[in-house]
Amino acid sequence: MTSTTMTLPHFTLGAGASAGIFPGIPFRRLVRVEWSKATDTRAARWLLAAVASSTVGLMLVPILSPSAEDQTYTGYLGFAALALSILLPVVAILTLTSEWSQRTALTTFAQEPRRMRVVSAKITVSLTLGVAAALFGGLVTAAGLAAASVSGRILVPDLDAGLCAAFLLYVVLNVMTGVALGALVHNSAAAIVASFVLPIAFGLLGRTSTVVADWLDYSTAFNWLLHGEWAGHTTQVLSSVVLWIAVPLAAGLVRTARREIS
Amino acid sequence: MITTTALTKTYGGSRVVSDVSLHCEPGTITGFLGPNGAGKSTTLRMIVGMARPDHGTATIGGQRFVELPNPTRVVGTLLDASAMHAGRTGRTTLTIAARMAGVPTSRVDELLDRVGLTDAAERRVGDYSLGMRQRLGIAQTLVGEPQVLILDEPANGLDPEGIVWMRRLLRDFADRGGTVLLSSHLLHEVQATADHLVVISQGAVVASGLLTELLASSSLTLRTPDPEGLARALRAAGIDHQPGPDQTITVEVRDGRVTAEMVARAASDQQVLLTELRPSDSRGLEQLFFSLTAAQPAHSQEAAA
Repeated sequence: MTSTTMTLPHFTLGAGASAGIFPGIPFRRLVRVEWSKATDTRAARWLLAAVASSTVGLMLVPILSPSAEDQTYTGYLGFAALALSILLPVVAILTLTSEWSQRTALTTFAQEPRRMRVVSAKITVSLTLGVAAALFGGLVTAAGLAAASVSGRILVPDLDAGLCAAFLLYVVLNVMTGVALGALVHNSAAAIVASFVLPIAFGLLGRTSTVVADWLDYSTAFNWLLHGEWAGHTTQVLSSVVLWIAVPLAAGLVRTARREIS
Repeated sequence: MITTTALTKTYGGSRVVSDVSLHCEPGTITGFLGPNGAGKSTTLRMIVGMARPDHGTATIGGQRFVELPNPTRVVGTLLDASAMHAGRTGRTTLTIAARMAGVPTSRVDELLDRVGLTDAAERRVGDYSLGMRQRLGIAQTLVGEPQVLILDEPANGLDPEGIVWMRRLLRDFADRGGTVLLSSHLLHEVQATADHLVVISQGAVVASGLLTELLASSSLTLRTPDPEGLARALRAAGIDHQPGPDQTITVEVRDGRVTAEMVARAASDQQVLLTELRPSDSRGLEQLFFSLTAAQPAHSQEAAA
């Protein structure tokens, strides 16, 4: 420490002795701060870059192997959906868990003790990232289709507004599974492992039981949604939403509200 | 400004905090002293809403912490300097705090300068030493220009210069009307920083009050070349006395009913020469404290440092 830092610090004491004179923190401000926190570290930026590059990378598959992959608009969009469903939930998980893994909850909840507001801001940020990523996936799909069509390929224009909306919903729901898991588990590594292992486990179980495959395996359910196959599947999709999003998220909110921080 | 009443907390059947009542006034620094594991951190965490008391209440300026609309404008808290995001820079850490508090982010540069971290501002906190994190944590507590500071072991990791710097900062803060509550397991650290003291052991308050009163000596030490003459003089004046250590004579002050002046007068009346008349070395608080920390002898070394 240099001698210049040893000068007696001057600081003003807060204007009022009364605790109530400062207004609460507006939700907009919480969201903006949580947005910064979700994107201001090297790790977060690498992860977002990985989401973007994996989307572009997977888009090369239908372009480079025209005989193996459907040369349809929805076929191309499916690759964007696949890419975003892998890493985007991880972004959401980290947004929710890093306060616990990095122990910054001790700081954050001293800044805003109404923990549900902080979690709501984090969910808002995750959803915003999800929508932005879906738009990015749409752009990459459009670029991929343009590239394929420039090369003289015949593409089936089978995409309508409903399927575009389904794609957006698919990405958002995948983000929400990450949000729910992160809200519940609080440990980055454990939540990320769970987000990869559980779909595989339920996929395998689904081979032995149609009940599991139809009602509990969200990868299957969300794929019906993505492809607009609602007929007979509406309640099954809802079942997955309840089981994989609503229930763990509710439990996670309760846990976050009650957890003692040390 | 900080008030707790009968805060009690049980973890897994064992009482870690038991009926702790504190009162910290504006303009004072209260040292919360106790060995590691005595319940200091748990008490501070209950005050700021990180842990729920089984019963008892804690308020800051009359309000529960969790009810403060924008707490960092009222209370600066530093509960654990190592609980910072390792991937953020010092500047980013303070900028987030400033935005949450709703104060201009221009304050960040000023604070970095104040805590001597300007040169390290762009480095990741993961690369900071504990002392640097402690400084950053102290800067973070000051971001919202609070009236109250709650600091858990703030001297941890600071070098001797840094400790002196922090004492002056806290004294200045209190002199401007601020309220400070800080915990420490080092008696000498608290003695040099605080003006009020609360000693906690095994979750319960065992001593509290003004530092000067707690440290006040309860007896006088006298020395004379004529012990028998002095004994006679004291008996004549009706002052009880006992032989003290090292051929001295000890006189109990009995809450001020016996004063040094009375002793000097008694000796002077009988023409007895006094070569020493002073308050006895205060060992009471230290003995109390070290008896609490006896199981952890390492502390006495740290305390002496």
